[in-house]
Amino acid sequence: MNIASPPETVRAYLDALQGALRGSSPGLISDALADAEEHLQGEIASKPTQSEAEVLATVVETYGTPAEIAEEYKSMEASITGPFPKPEQAPRQHPGFFGVIGDPSAYGALMYMLLSLVTGIFYFVWTVTFGSISLSFLIFIVGIPLMLLYLGSIRVLSHVEGRIVEGLLGVRMPRRLPAASSADETIWTRIKDALSDIRTWSSLFYLLLMLPLGVVYFVLAIVGITVPLALIGGSLEGLITGRSHIQFSDAPYVDHIFHTAPGLVLAMFVGVLLIFLVLHLAKGIGWLHGRIAETLLVRL
Amino acid sequence: MAGLSSLVLLAVLARAGREMYGYEIAKAVKAEGEGGLIFKQGAIYPVLRSLNTLGLLGSRVEASAFGPPRRYYTITDEGRQALNDWQGAWFDMRGFVDDALQSQGVADEHRVSA
Repeated sequence: MNIASPPETVRAYLDALQGALRGSSPGLISDALADAEEHLQGEIASKPTQSEAEVLATVVETYGTPAEIAEEYKSMEASITGPFPKPEQAPRQHPGFFGVIGDPSAYGALMYMLLSLVTGIFYFVWTVTFGSISLSFLIFIVGIPLMLLYLGSIRVLSHVEGRIVEGLLGVRMPRRLPAASSADETIWTRIKDALSDIRTWSSLFYLLLMLPLGVVYFVLAIVGITVPLALIGGSLEGLITGRSHIQFSDAPYVDHIFHTAPGLVLAMFVGVLLIFLVLHLAKGIGWLHGRIAETLLVRL
Repeated sequence: MAGLSSLVLLAVLARAGREMYGYEIAKAVKAEGEGGLIFKQGAIYPVLRSLNTLGLLGSRVEASAFGPPRRYYTITDEGRQALNDWQGAWFDMRGFVDDALQSQGVADEHRVSA
């Protein structure tokens, strides 16, 4: 960053700010960039007679230089500790094994696992079909805009997936589309920029990866929901009606256990325990998938 | 400085009594400090986020016609309570500092006249 020449465009300011924040968490960087962009665009809109460079020259005085702002965000990341008394905060208790039943993130992850089959299939079909079409059309002139459209659609899909991941898995993802390259660039430079950007490839890889992952998540979620519910429901029905229909086709010799009242109570107990286990599993998968999405999709 | 800016921001939002977004708040703070700002406007945003995390401010995000989505902030009941407490602490501290500076001023005058 060159202090002697202050940034003359919003883009340059944001780039400098991002450079100064290097090493911070992606969520923090994304927040700082969004705040700065909101403020700078607001200043530019409020002074229509001045050029972008003129506005930025004055704004840097009041808003702060990228280096100053980066310091503010870094020091603020922990929390506010002012010279004044802080409101009492209840100490956070560890939820424990059974606390997961009231943990919204576990249900969010379970929802995500169910949804991931649909999104996974869609991403895969879109990526492969549209990709091969635009690739084969590249020998014609019409293939070039088609390719650009395809690369753009990858960005949009990644952004949409990011919103889903943030909504259901609670991982901080960018809340706006990455800035498109400026309009005065030629179509070739735009394609070249997109192709040389590692994030395009990692996003593409993520969208393809979502199919196998989606299948696994979906199967785990469906089995994880139906098995405990079937155990609980079947045992309850057996206990109420006095007739048990629980049968294990692979192990018929254990059937008789589930035709007695204690066996049915045991099955119900196992079913309830399984619910907690499944919620823990979902939470774990949600966490893991959040890390995958953050690594492959966040564009900085 | 973060403590002071959070006091100012809570006061601005409490006085406004309505939702405000970051840039609007920055403008309002600038209008307050005619004589010059004690902190950069850019420092307001991370403080707003922290106050939000602490539950002293509520927030919601809304799409904006141009630029990134705007985050609107409102002061919560907890925020008003904190503002009251901090205000008391601030007046106490200001009184103490004023007293200390005034006695310093008196001592200087003595030195000049002597």
